[in-house]
Amino acid sequence: MSRPTFLQGLRIVDLSMGWAGPLATRHLADMGAEVIKIESCERFDWFRGWEASQRWIDEGGPEKNPPFNCLNRNKLDVTLDLGTGKGRALLLALVAAADAVVENFAGSVLPKLKLGFEVFRRVKPDIVMLSMPGFGTTGPWKDYRAYGSTTEQAAGLPHLSGNAEWPPTMVHIALGDAVAGLNGAAGLLLALRHRHRTGEGQFVDLSHSECLFPLAAHGIAEQVLTGRPPPRLGNRSRLHAPHGAYPCRNGRWLVIQVQNEVQWQSMQALVGESLEGFGDVQDRLARNDGLDGAVAVWSARRTAERAMAELQSAGVPAGAVRNSRELCDEPHLVARKFWKMMDREYVGCIPHARAPYRVDGSPLEIEWPAPTLGQHNRQVLGGILGLAEDEIVDLERAGVIGTKPRMREADTK
Amino acid sequence: MEGIRVLDLSGGIAAAYCGKLFADHGAEVLLLEPPNGFRTRRLPPFAPGIEGAEASGMHAYLSTNKRSVVCTDRADLLRVARGASLAIDDGPAGRHALDIETFKTVSADTDVLSITWFGKDGPYRNFAGSDGVCLALSSQIDWIGEPGRAPLIPGGYHAQIIAGVTAFIAASGQILARELGNAYGFQLIDVSVHESSICLTEIEAYRGHCGLPVRTRIGVNRFRSTYPLGIYACRDGWLGVTVVTPAQWDGFCRLLGLRHLTDIERYWSSEARLEDADVLEPLITAAVSDRSAGELARTGQRRKVPLSLVPTMDKLLAVDQYISRAAFADVTHPDIGPMPLPVTPFRLHGAPATAGGTVSRLGEDTSAVLAAAGGAE
Repeated sequence: MSRPTFLQGLRIVDLSMGWAGPLATRHLADMGAEVIKIESCERFDWFRGWEASQRWIDEGGPEKNPPFNCLNRNKLDVTLDLGTGKGRALLLALVAAADAVVENFAGSVLPKLKLGFEVFRRVKPDIVMLSMPGFGTTGPWKDYRAYGSTTEQAAGLPHLSGNAEWPPTMVHIALGDAVAGLNGAAGLLLALRHRHRTGEGQFVDLSHSECLFPLAAHGIAEQVLTGRPPPRLGNRSRLHAPHGAYPCRNGRWLVIQVQNEVQWQSMQALVGESLEGFGDVQDRLARNDGLDGAVAVWSARRTAERAMAELQSAGVPAGAVRNSRELCDEPHLVARKFWKMMDREYVGCIPHARAPYRVDGSPLEIEWPAPTLGQHNRQVLGGILGLAEDEIVDLERAGVIGTKPRMREADTK
Repeated sequence: MEGIRVLDLSGGIAAAYCGKLFADHGAEVLLLEPPNGFRTRRLPPFAPGIEGAEASGMHAYLSTNKRSVVCTDRADLLRVARGASLAIDDGPAGRHALDIETFKTVSADTDVLSITWFGKDGPYRNFAGSDGVCLALSSQIDWIGEPGRAPLIPGGYHAQIIAGVTAFIAASGQILARELGNAYGFQLIDVSVHESSICLTEIEAYRGHCGLPVRTRIGVNRFRSTYPLGIYACRDGWLGVTVVTPAQWDGFCRLLGLRHLTDIERYWSSEARLEDADVLEPLITAAVSDRSAGELARTGQRRKVPLSLVPTMDKLLAVDQYISRAAFADVTHPDIGPMPLPVTPFRLHGAPATAGGTVSRLGEDTSAVLAAAGGAE
């Protein structure tokens, strides 16, 4: 099956690695753009693995890591050693034939390679470049190291989750990465549209930590308006009750978040006697401990699945807490064909989450899985740049390109 | 997004955030509100001393640079709808005077962006949703909190904001596709809040499907298999720590005066450190407790250790990095006044977003919009 052709004709040179940049470009690849991922045999995407050993390489480790295989479908993969003059020249030739470049290195990496927006613009005056280091390309923190956890911390977001007696509480191991990836895709699309309409390229500067501020907007606004942050209430709400995660049979949990009085009355009628003594929302909020206890007695007698079905039948927002092993079998996602099972070399048949949007009822097709290292060297260097076969062979012999990962020289000493 | 007109018929947070991204980038975004206003107007926080539909700070954030129209006359609404590039809806058919079927007939160039909790088909399509319900069904909250106790639901509106950005990607992709000549005619774009949030969990789902170890709840601020990863109390604030590589562990230990730990080869592995977290945690906690969070973060970063301040809400706007990047700008509501709130996080140097802006009162733009559309005031 072919991908959609919505962005057919757009070519993106993707220098990004890890989660954020590759997620951004995956969205464009899913919509039909040609995304050319640049790695090298020694400096491959760290989502292929960040603790390389010769044995791990010999066992095919760089082709087996789930994070890499999740984030790079529908892309072409080329290896170029950017530390060599030839590799750098080939990159610039690709940029000259592209519409956009994406990178998410720490701030000092591209200048060391004598690369950057001004260099790219010299070979392609209308190029769009999306640069997405952890804290953006300006400011006193521009060269700071950051993971997706660091940016969650730096955005202040942990002060808005958890119980009051807990330390500021993180909600993901790398929240900032995925959210920055989405914002990167959004910024790139805007810049490409601007280019299409005006002929002007531009630089797009994205800070991962700033991408998390919209998730903190309610807290920022409360601090600004009242001089205080919102209280940390764990799973409870100041506005609604019941509102939390409740125990079910077999150690499972169910989230119930009543949002209005109609839903409350439906739940009250469903659960029956144990909720009869609770009144309007003010009464329920005042007696939250007792209310949560009564709901927990009801939920604990049921499986999470059954409790969800009963509550949803009554129009009450309720969802079973799925675990990671169940998600690919989640009935709703299966029915919507959200997962596409696809064979990939080295790992066999693996699940791919499709784009979370459909156009005219059809999920966006995934055409091929994540590429192996340098899988498309000949297709790209020969087909796009017009290199002859003997030139490609020379590049392989010189180690500028290749398909076999190798330890960095410094790491082998 | 100059030249784009967006109609927001929804009132939900995801749709509002999607619309905000359009508005901040120059699109004309019209909120077609019911007489009592969109649901976002009833979201906290509320400005002290202001009652009713104009008090919500969250609505002000989500509705900056949009225009508010209150009109129930279908003929007038149809006139307003003509020429729109995009209509955003988040409810069942028939809830609004304009719906998907209407747009199919109004203009072949209008895409409809439907943002619902679970999408337009599938067994949960009519489920009642909420932020926490979507995060539960996407498996994210299964990792958050203490083992054996209730999982933690993140505060705020994570699933809906993420869905709002996702919807913006989908819709702006379609607008670009149309302008590239790659898409034609009426398009219905179906965005599910539930599926949007799976961008945070898909890697773990892949691991789980393949029988690899997966994340479970192992404690507050604990996530397999990175350690130390968490937030520590210092004398003047909170320090965020993420230590992954042996080099970072070495730099972190030296910074904290725990150099003897670097001699233990086993601790070069993050996984091994996590196994011994009960031993290491008191050492780290004690080592930072009387130090300055800001100084530790700065010094750690000089040593290439990813440390950070974890600013409280009252300190966030004063962080030098965010001041230098003008990450907050005044949003002015005619009743509330100016509020410094986050600007759009992607900075297009050649076509910058509006920083801050104004918020319309409920129905404030009705007359002007209807007049421009050629209808009755």
